[in-house]
Amino acid sequence: MNEALDLSLRGQAAAIAAGEADAGELLEAALARIEERNPALNAVVETFPERSREMLAAAPAGPLHGVPVVIKDEWPLPWRAQRFGAAEMLAETAPGESGPYRALRDAGAVIVGVGNMHELGAGSTGSLSVYGPARNPWDADRCPGGSSSGPAAAVAARMVAGAIGADGIGSIRYPAAYCGLTGLKPTFGRAAMEGHHMAGVSTTIVSGPLCADAADARLLASVLFGEELQAGEPRGLRIGVVRDEVAEDVAPAVREACEGAIGELREATGGEVREIALPELAAATLATVLIANSESLGGITPQRLNDLDPELSPIGRGLLKYRVLLPATAVVKSQQLRTAARRRLAEVFADVDLIAWPTVPAAAPPLEAPLVELPSGTLTADQANVRGGALANLTGIPAVSVPVGSAAGLPVALQLQATWGRDELLLDAAEALERANGRRWVDALPPLARGAEPLEA
Amino acid sequence: MEASSQQDDFIQAGLAAYGIEADEIELAVIRAAHEMFWPPILELLGMDTSAVEAEPGPDLSEAPSR
Repeated sequence: MNEALDLSLRGQAAAIAAGEADAGELLEAALARIEERNPALNAVVETFPERSREMLAAAPAGPLHGVPVVIKDEWPLPWRAQRFGAAEMLAETAPGESGPYRALRDAGAVIVGVGNMHELGAGSTGSLSVYGPARNPWDADRCPGGSSSGPAAAVAARMVAGAIGADGIGSIRYPAAYCGLTGLKPTFGRAAMEGHHMAGVSTTIVSGPLCADAADARLLASVLFGEELQAGEPRGLRIGVVRDEVAEDVAPAVREACEGAIGELREATGGEVREIALPELAAATLATVLIANSESLGGITPQRLNDLDPELSPIGRGLLKYRVLLPATAVVKSQQLRTAARRRLAEVFADVDLIAWPTVPAAAPPLEAPLVELPSGTLTADQANVRGGALANLTGIPAVSVPVGSAAGLPVALQLQATWGRDELLLDAAEALERANGRRWVDALPPLARGAEPLEA
Repeated sequence: MEASSQQDDFIQAGLAAYGIEADEIELAVIRAAHEMFWPPILELLGMDTSAVEAEPGPDLSEAPSR
């Protein structure tokens, strides 16, 4: 196996640029590793070796020249329409050059596979997909997170060092948290979005990177943004925390790890922790769900709903039909709540640089029953996860999920949110945290990637 | 009338009004979703949001202009 495959994303790029690694060999090694490790994880749902080789042959010099990456089944490629993890989509799709594809191609990257995802993007667990669920490399019986389940599992299992996801309500950050990765949800509109079937319609979805650490996420985000994101040394960070269920109704091990990480970040940057109030948070979470679900209604007709592909899951069919029953008044009020939440955040970010709370309130639940035990009781993972993920999508602010601990052998993650356009600050803070904890969590590898025997499928 | 019966009526009548068919499994999914979403939706509908001044042409990539 090519040793360069175990380097970071930036390490692979540097090794190729320096002539220390051969891009052709790296591509073949990535394809071989997918063949070796993917059967147990179902992270990559399609490879296309000839297309990948053609992409490499035509790859320009660029920041990712010759580096293999995976892209979520949410983005069209010139040779493949996205399937959105579903037997049927309501939107028309066709092969084409999506924005992330162009960004990767122009950076010299090589797309080696398409990553699995939660059906129709409508879940935070990855437990449901037309391809069958992706599995978590830390425990193949556990959810990898969703909806960018395959990209996360592929990177966590080190099939590739970077992957492109999409985040409409936490869909990059949840799988990053479950799989122990760094996942960035960029400021709305900042990352390549062209070609997405909801581009121009959705006000919540963005593309973004899933990588092992913040420096790799910075490199991949720079490609998606079309501008180099400069690294900085954050000093005197004012970290906002809330006394709310999003921070307090969480599993004890998650709370302990996240509070510990906030303390480490404060200490490492000579900063301070400030309590802030976001009284609209619960209502804002519902507003996000209502807005995101209503935005996808344009392609729906009663006849279309009556003719849904029977291969679409009953859950997918039922939820699509339920969407038409959502009251328009609630959607209008949701937009007003969005306005109020944006104004509140603008005030809050005058007083703090970051807002921190757990990305998800509990570690990855079992695929068989995606439920989580919280102090308030048992909730579905979707109900619990949306509390922490929605605000950034509703308001447009950037957010990053950073691994900060472990609970029973599964990753635990902290989410950092910043004001509009300060994506770089989030990555700076994530790197400061990595330094503070000795890179203990970003360098942790699941058994499958430590050279252990492949997991049983 | 019991709450569950009201919910069923809402779902059945709503789908029927649109001419949307649903089998038993789909109905079970819809009932579960409705049970989860409807109470907070009712709370939302009960909120007086008239004091929220509109954000003209909101640009979600930036902070609100005012």
